[in-house]
Amino acid sequence: RMAGHDAGNQHQFTGLAKHFNSYTIVGRRNCVLATYASLAAIFLFFKLKPKKKPAVTEK
Amino acid sequence: MTLSLFDQFLSPVVCWIPLVAIAIILPWILFPSPTTRWLNNRSLTSQNWFLSQATSQIFLPINPPGHKWALLLSSLLIFLTTMNTAGLLPYTFTPTSQLSINMGLAGALWMGVVILGMRTQPTHSLGHLLPEGAPALLTPILVIIETISLFIRPIALGVRLTANLTAGHLLIQLTSTATLAMLTIMPVTAIFTGILLFLLALLEAAVALIQAYVFVLLLSLYLQENV
Repeated sequence: RMAGHDAGNQHQFTGLAKHFNSYTIVGRRNCVLATYASLAAIFLFFKLKPKKKPAVTEK
Repeated sequence: MTLSLFDQFLSPVVCWIPLVAIAIILPWILFPSPTTRWLNNRSLTSQNWFLSQATSQIFLPINPPGHKWALLLSSLLIFLTTMNTAGLLPYTFTPTSQLSINMGLAGALWMGVVILGMRTQPTHSLGHLLPEGAPALLTPILVIIETISLFIRPIALGVRLTANLTAGHLLIQLTSTATLAMLTIMPVTAIFTGILLFLLALLEAAVALIQAYVFVLLLSLYLQENV
């Protein structure tokens, strides 16, 4: 169907697509949560990465 | 000259008493509550009829659990309509031309609707942040865009009302100043400017009613998504 609301019943998803798809409401929710978790992980990675100290040169 | 154009938007104060409170309370005395009599007077009957028609139209697409919001949204409609139309009278102050009032209404009501959706049906509320049938590769960017659009909503709601009313009042003041200034110098041009002013006043009356309706309608749409 081109137009109209897709109930998501006619799709037979297997594997990862069963939980992460853009057709069922649960799949869409999981995609949204996964996106937020990824963004949080990227933010935390750069926040907690140890900063490189410049080498001390003997003057 | 430039400074005086915005004087109409200053919150009026007389002897350090802010008059904005009186301006906001104004709708309360114009819309009396129904009496205990079997039949009310004509003005009350017509007011209640208009209000019930508007409320039933707004709440037609909303599920029954959302009908609890009928009193809040109908009183908001009355409030905004009265503020906007009363502000068209000369030398009056329009509370809804202030960003503070509009953002206070928009932000609080939008947040209430979103929190309601997250509490009662979190799966649906979160699921709506990804459009149905979206390609897998576009999912992250679409989620980010939808989240940004969700948070832009209260800002757009408040600024839309403020900008429409402020721009309209400024145009009326500019056109009326021009008409008066040209009346002795170029009377024919002043007449045409006067006709323009009349048409502008009609437009602003329509904008006042429409913007109040749009504010309430958009809130009802956000409620529809979350209830």
